[in-house]
Amino acid sequence: MSDDIKAPGFKASELIAGLESAFSKYSDAEKQSQIKKTNGIFDLQVSNDAKETVTWTIDMKKTGTVYKGKAQPKADVTIILADDTLLDLASGKLNGQKAFMTGKLKTRGNMMLATKLDTVLKGAKAKL
Amino acid sequence: MSFQGLISGSECAAPANPLSQVLKHTEGDRSLQQDRVSGPSTSRLHQLPGSSSSAPATEHDLALARQFFEGNSSGPGMSSGYTMQYPPELARMSEMSMNDRPGMSDVWALEQQQQLRALEESAAKGAWAAEFGNAPQQSSSGPSIQHAMPGGQEFQQQRSSFMPMYAGSMPVAMYGLSSPMQYGINANFTAVDHGKGKAREADFEAAFAKIAESLGPEETQTSRIEEVDERVTEIEEKLKNATLNAGEDEDLNFQKVWDQLQNSDLPPPKEDMAKWEAEFSQLMNAQREELEDYGTNMQKAWEGGVGDYAGPSQGVKFDGEGIPILGDYLFEKNNKYLESESRSYLSDAKQLLESNGSLSEAALMLEAAIQRGELGEGGFETWILLGETRNMDEREEAGMRALLEGVRIAEQAGAPGAGMLSLAISFTNESYDRASHTMLVRWFKAKYPGVPIPEETAKSIGTNSSWDTHERITHLFMEQARSQHGQDQMDPDLQIALGVLFYTNGDYERAQDCFVAALNVRPKDYLLWNRLGSSLSNGSKPEEALGAYREALQLRPTYTRAIYNVGVACLNIGADKEAAEHFLSALSLQESTNGDTSDQLWFTLRRALLSMNRSDLADLAKPEAKSNLDVFRREGLDF
Repeated sequence: MSDDIKAPGFKASELIAGLESAFSKYSDAEKQSQIKKTNGIFDLQVSNDAKETVTWTIDMKKTGTVYKGKAQPKADVTIILADDTLLDLASGKLNGQKAFMTGKLKTRGNMMLATKLDTVLKGAKAKL
Repeated sequence: MSFQGLISGSECAAPANPLSQVLKHTEGDRSLQQDRVSGPSTSRLHQLPGSSSSAPATEHDLALARQFFEGNSSGPGMSSGYTMQYPPELARMSEMSMNDRPGMSDVWALEQQQQLRALEESAAKGAWAAEFGNAPQQSSSGPSIQHAMPGGQEFQQQRSSFMPMYAGSMPVAMYGLSSPMQYGINANFTAVDHGKGKAREADFEAAFAKIAESLGPEETQTSRIEEVDERVTEIEEKLKNATLNAGEDEDLNFQKVWDQLQNSDLPPPKEDMAKWEAEFSQLMNAQREELEDYGTNMQKAWEGGVGDYAGPSQGVKFDGEGIPILGDYLFEKNNKYLESESRSYLSDAKQLLESNGSLSEAALMLEAAIQRGELGEGGFETWILLGETRNMDEREEAGMRALLEGVRIAEQAGAPGAGMLSLAISFTNESYDRASHTMLVRWFKAKYPGVPIPEETAKSIGTNSSWDTHERITHLFMEQARSQHGQDQMDPDLQIALGVLFYTNGDYERAQDCFVAALNVRPKDYLLWNRLGSSLSNGSKPEEALGAYREALQLRPTYTRAIYNVGVACLNIGADKEAAEHFLSALSLQESTNGDTSDQLWFTLRRALLSMNRSDLADLAKPEAKSNLDVFRREGLDF
């Protein structure tokens, strides 16, 4: 299952596969709490150095799943970014706003939702 | 500046009243044709003397000005009327194009013209008044144009973010402005043709209303329909006449506002214009995407019968300022303290907290206190204490609800400020960034009543994205911190607030600095040690974070959140077993009171167990499973 979601030539494949397996192991309660917090469908349009593009969908609104390809029926926000940018975002080297301001990340649709991408990508977070 | 010249129009060949010049622009962005064809007024605009301003800026100014005029003159007046009254007409229009009877179109157009005139006169007046009602008061303050612009809010909202990125492609985007919308409308018209017939008119009306809504007021301009269809072009011509006629009625009102705009000495700075320009084009592009998708979706829906639209949203609802609407605090059932006798649960709980007692225990006492009507000082003290205790006990949801209630009561009691900082921190933990910003500003207002908050900042809270408000609020707080520093003062609370702000934005190093500064004043504050720790941990320094957590736990061994954070740091280091043990010990602390345990703790425990490849244990570690913690102890986990 995890292999289907990977795209050869994309470093973010591992990250997305990790997200997918994490989501698939979520209990229903966990899924509900994530969905409640995020409530959005993200399309990640990732391009790599070889100018190839792949789209992954993170559905944090209805099903709580991650899959390759465009969102069905429709994403709330499409995030267009480079492979490396996605990795930096996930590792916390870059935050969404900085990426946006420097043009590394572009959005289409509900931009407000894009601000939540950090939360979705990141794993366990310490609390204040 | 060129903008001034444009407004005054004194050297133009156009009539003295600038309004008529403005109206020329109402039918759409024909600037390119006008450049070649029409009078000196427009061509002059494009060939302003190089001395007055640099060429690219002039281009932008012009484009912006053009948009501005378009938006003001035709936008509001038409859009409101158009949206409401047109669906039937449009449906007829499509039928007619099917029948294609040449004689009829003339008659029809005439009829339309009359209707339009009436519509214009009634709709425009109200809209003009509404549109410009604000302007006079604002004309003295800097960029007054910004306020008068329809959709100005949206522009501000994205101003900071779009600017750098689109600066490069600006001229292109500028010329592309009108075309996206045409495509969008085209798609809809095709859809109409497919959906002829009475039964579908209703569908179309709904669709049209929806589109109009998604377009927002500033885009629903008659100008865009221009090239859609030959017949529409005809109407467009009539419309133009109608607009001009109606325009004379508005002269008086408009003239007033206009004069004021002209007299304002402060033209908007060039950078702002460029920003608006970039943002506007970005918005338009986004809208086009939506429309394209929408067109295909609608077609599918018509072809396939009932469309599959999203069900009720499961997400948290927010109020106008981004504060989540969570509902009432849920008291725990079977609270043993409700039965037993005590003088005062509030003071008992305080005592327990003082003496490092169990947080869950203290929370139960506070709940009992509230249920018995012992609300403490001002009616909010117990609520806020309960909320803070819940948060310390890693029960964020319960904590937020209690704090929301406490803050509400405190505001009603005329003692705003209490609990607000804690609530803002709670929102931050739950990634409710807007709510966190709102609360921080409210706290600031209560804490420093003498310090004015810029109107822009106050306004942006309700409308703009957290990326924009963050910048504004940080600026406000930094200014305050600087002025305090100038007077050799240091308010640890302000430092905490700043730290939270940096933290929200992922600026963990600066957050650390703020918490360290606050710790210099309050070295015994275990909450602060924990906050420093989580800034370090989230800033990819989990090892250093452990040191800060240790300080916190030495001061407060039962601090569940710090234990949880230690677990998270272990998880990030890759010490999964240790992480699981920490989560388990936090859970056992909560369990010892017979109270509820924290879902968040269970979730993270599960994650740790999965990383250990112990999915068998992970299945047991669900909050709903209510597993006995001894199961994990038997598996060799030591806690």
